[in-house]
Amino acid sequence: MEIITIIIPLLAAAVQSGTPILYATLGEIITEKSGVLNLGVEGAMIIGALAGFIVSRYTGSPVLGFFAAGIAGSFATSIHGVVCLWFQGNQVVSGLALTILGAGLANYLGTSYVGLSAPGFSPVAVPLLSSIPVLGPIFFKHDILVYISYCIPPVMCLFFTSTRFGLGLRAAGEYPAAATAAGLNVLAYRWFGILAGGFLMGLGGAYLSLAYTHLWTTNLTGGRGWIAVALVIFAFWRPGRAVLGAYLFGSVMALQLRLQALGTQLPSSILLMLPYVLTVFVLVMSSWRKKTNEEPAALGVNVEPAD
Amino acid sequence: MRLLKALIVAMLSLGFCTASFAAKEMKVGFVYVSPIGDAGYSYAHDVGRQAVEAMDGVTTSYVESVPEGPDSERVILNMARKGYDVIFATSFGYMDPMLKVAKQFPKVAFLHCSGFKMADNMSNYFGRIYQARYLSGIVAGSMTKSNVIGYAAAFPIPEVIRGINAFTLGAQSVNPDVTVRVVWTKTWYDPATEKEAAKSLLDVGADVIAQHQDSPGPQEAAQEKGVYSIGYNSDMSAFAPKSHMTAPVWNWGPYYTKVVEQVRKGTWKAESAWPGLKEGIVDLAPFGAMVPQNVQDKVNKEKADIIGGKKIFTGPIKGQKGAVKIAGGVAATDIELLGMTWFVKGVVGTTE
Amino acid sequence: MFHIRITKRQEPLSVGGSCLVLLSALILSLLLSGLLLFLRGTPPVDGIVTLFQGAFGSRWAIEDSILKAIPIFLCSLGVAIAFRLQIWNIGAEGQFALGAIGATWVALSFPQWPKIALLPAMVLAAAVAGGGWGMIPAILRQRLKTNEIIVTLMMNYIAILFLEYLVYGVWKDPTSFGFPMTPEFSEQAIVGKIGTTSINWGLAHCLILGVLVWGFFKFTRTGFEVKACGDNVRAARYAGLPYDRLVVLVMVLSGALAGWAGFLEASATVNRLQPSIMVGYGYTAIVVAWLARLHPLSIGIASFLLAGLRVGVENIQLDLQVPAAFGGIIEGLILLTVLAGGLFTHYRLVRGKK
Repeated sequence: MEIITIIIPLLAAAVQSGTPILYATLGEIITEKSGVLNLGVEGAMIIGALAGFIVSRYTGSPVLGFFAAGIAGSFATSIHGVVCLWFQGNQVVSGLALTILGAGLANYLGTSYVGLSAPGFSPVAVPLLSSIPVLGPIFFKHDILVYISYCIPPVMCLFFTSTRFGLGLRAAGEYPAAATAAGLNVLAYRWFGILAGGFLMGLGGAYLSLAYTHLWTTNLTGGRGWIAVALVIFAFWRPGRAVLGAYLFGSVMALQLRLQALGTQLPSSILLMLPYVLTVFVLVMSSWRKKTNEEPAALGVNVEPAD
Repeated sequence: MRLLKALIVAMLSLGFCTASFAAKEMKVGFVYVSPIGDAGYSYAHDVGRQAVEAMDGVTTSYVESVPEGPDSERVILNMARKGYDVIFATSFGYMDPMLKVAKQFPKVAFLHCSGFKMADNMSNYFGRIYQARYLSGIVAGSMTKSNVIGYAAAFPIPEVIRGINAFTLGAQSVNPDVTVRVVWTKTWYDPATEKEAAKSLLDVGADVIAQHQDSPGPQEAAQEKGVYSIGYNSDMSAFAPKSHMTAPVWNWGPYYTKVVEQVRKGTWKAESAWPGLKEGIVDLAPFGAMVPQNVQDKVNKEKADIIGGKKIFTGPIKGQKGAVKIAGGVAATDIELLGMTWFVKGVVGTTE
Repeated sequence: MFHIRITKRQEPLSVGGSCLVLLSALILSLLLSGLLLFLRGTPPVDGIVTLFQGAFGSRWAIEDSILKAIPIFLCSLGVAIAFRLQIWNIGAEGQFALGAIGATWVALSFPQWPKIALLPAMVLAAAVAGGGWGMIPAILRQRLKTNEIIVTLMMNYIAILFLEYLVYGVWKDPTSFGFPMTPEFSEQAIVGKIGTTSINWGLAHCLILGVLVWGFFKFTRTGFEVKACGDNVRAARYAGLPYDRLVVLVMVLSGALAGWAGFLEASATVNRLQPSIMVGYGYTAIVVAWLARLHPLSIGIASFLLAGLRVGVENIQLDLQVPAAFGGIIEGLILLTVLAGGLFTHYRLVRGKK
């Protein structure tokens, strides 16, 4: 078998299986840039996945479903906002609670939708671009949600570096006290970070229930939200590196299945470890080489209410 | 005349219901290993439970997502304490816990699925789904052009391995050159991963996809690539109408209602039941339009043979590396089938 | 117009006040859960009552809840030690798995040893394996500033897959009909039950270890240093406390305790190693530790209550056919409301004219 006939589909699969993780990672980056650590990505994703599925099923419109998933994701993370921003709850624990609650809620409300199908997105090749050799089949023969995900990182970069609001958001995550002194409403920026992040996480969930598959089952997200949390750190909070991380993870996931399909004799448990081992390895390597710390300085630290 | 008869029966049963059955309504409990929302194995059992629920004078209940081990013992014990008359436990790991509880409650009927231990008041049972898999293998073997069939599988346990072997033997019976490539996902219900597993098989040249998972993810992958597929658990044609040729399906209703009826009448005895195509517990989903008539005929003839007593695992059968595993003319015993941990020749993959 | 302001308390909330806040949080979360039951058409009061009956309503129920609380308690005690230092050990699940693996290795290798030697050897192996697994993220953090939340989390997946690799492969019982489990342990390798109850002697281990951990923080210098560093890392470093060494120490202790729980689960309740021993105790432990504010006695109470919740959910499923996921909802709600209620320990609401 020619190597190229394996590699191209492998990379195309990497893009596809990396996409839900990419949405969620970008969401978490926005949230963390504003100074809020949200470990509840998994919970927001699964609620988004269910909401998207239900809305698409009842309205017949996957586009509506996609937006509903975003809104549902924002709703889920707003719980985190209430607990951490208003009630000063510990962000680590609140995020974990959101994961537990989100999975519980989605599985509880979703029981009657199991085994059903909903209209979703199908692959559409981009004219011209998809006929570029190698790159075309890898990047431009997917569904529209993948193409949308290509657009988000540059927009986010611009937002963070070139808009007043984006700079304010970063200030809220780096020096909340100074930002407050300068007259910025830190809480408002953090609320924006949480809600916008939740929107993207919900979209990531919807990718699973509306595009990757057109199904709803319990535990549909299968731990992808946690991978997103890991990738944020790998990405040094930069949207561009998040793309790299998500596709890298996707390609290892796709690679281990293909190694099995090719008839390798390694036990499947060992192969399945690869993505997680790689995540740790990459994390270690990147902290090794990185001297400066790019973590938002006030990440996970609540802003105390003014007396 | 018939109307009169029906009326009398109705009145009598009504009388019975209010008089005696109402006083002692039968309670039937089910223990599932996964959420019934898995759309697969536990779901199929739950469809059987609903058939029992529809019986007169019977109420049913279930506990889902029960881990094997101490948790299952507690759940089964609580059902017995609450006065359940019949308890079905549907996963292998419930065997020893159920046996312990069965000894404490001699009047309750216990039924354990997929194991091998028995007691005076505990049956074991399973369905010979591998018979239906053999038939689906014939369909796959007839339809493949590349002679590579992909098989997305959940966990390397005997039930799954047996199914892969039966499927492969079925495919080889019509097409000796077939190889079956296996990818383990180590998941029962992660549609995205399972779809990805199917895609990885398609990339290495498979042109028919079969599966042993609880989601139709592999079917979707096959449909997108424009190749045929074989489903599992229930008729999955709704998810991939252009791709879905058929599927080995479970139909627990007849067995469950039969057992409950026997317990009610007091005629139930503990047994080791392994019903199959003959009893209607397993079957094939209706053929898709793409399956040619001659293939359908061949499958139906094989099906009649199996119902008539033909054994699929009859030697000579060679293992993956070519050593004879089942000698010529000998049929594998049920015990050997229950503990099958090796692949037949023609399967590419590991059993770990 | 009245306006509600938040102001800092001069001194922390009294014990009675704390209890009141906790109680209101619990009631609020039960009300919300009841609402969800109502939406599904299940009578909410019945539902909650059934839940409690299943958890604490009979001797059996209480025994079952205690039995389930044992591994949760040990894992939670472990993560609480790390949390004291503000080290976020999410990896109790993996350390639990490694502990079970270590104990199983001893049990399978030396089945003929007398009980008095075999059980301690199993404990030791479990603690070393779990502690070692916990040490890796600690060293990575210390040397490379690698985020421990992510490393411990990823190592959970790796540990569980490693456990699967063993029981699907080299350790598989030849008489198990190919099912993934090790052979049953010999009699000497099994921790027995207390009297006629269904509770095993692991409960005694919990009591002893709980007291030891309490004593560690109360009386030892190292325990004090951990607390001091946890309260304020910068100040503690300034005072010359060995922060980096403490990070490794708490992670090893934390992992060893989770490993001990893995040993008990394999030895006392399952009597062998099989993949189904991984049911998420390590994650529940985090919830418990936080609800209990990291105090050993409160951890005992909280693990009993959460174990009861898990057991009670089976009852509400059986009697009212509520999906299993309901347990997760209550758990999440309790945690969120209690967390939010924490505001009132340091702040109070003041009504005043704007």
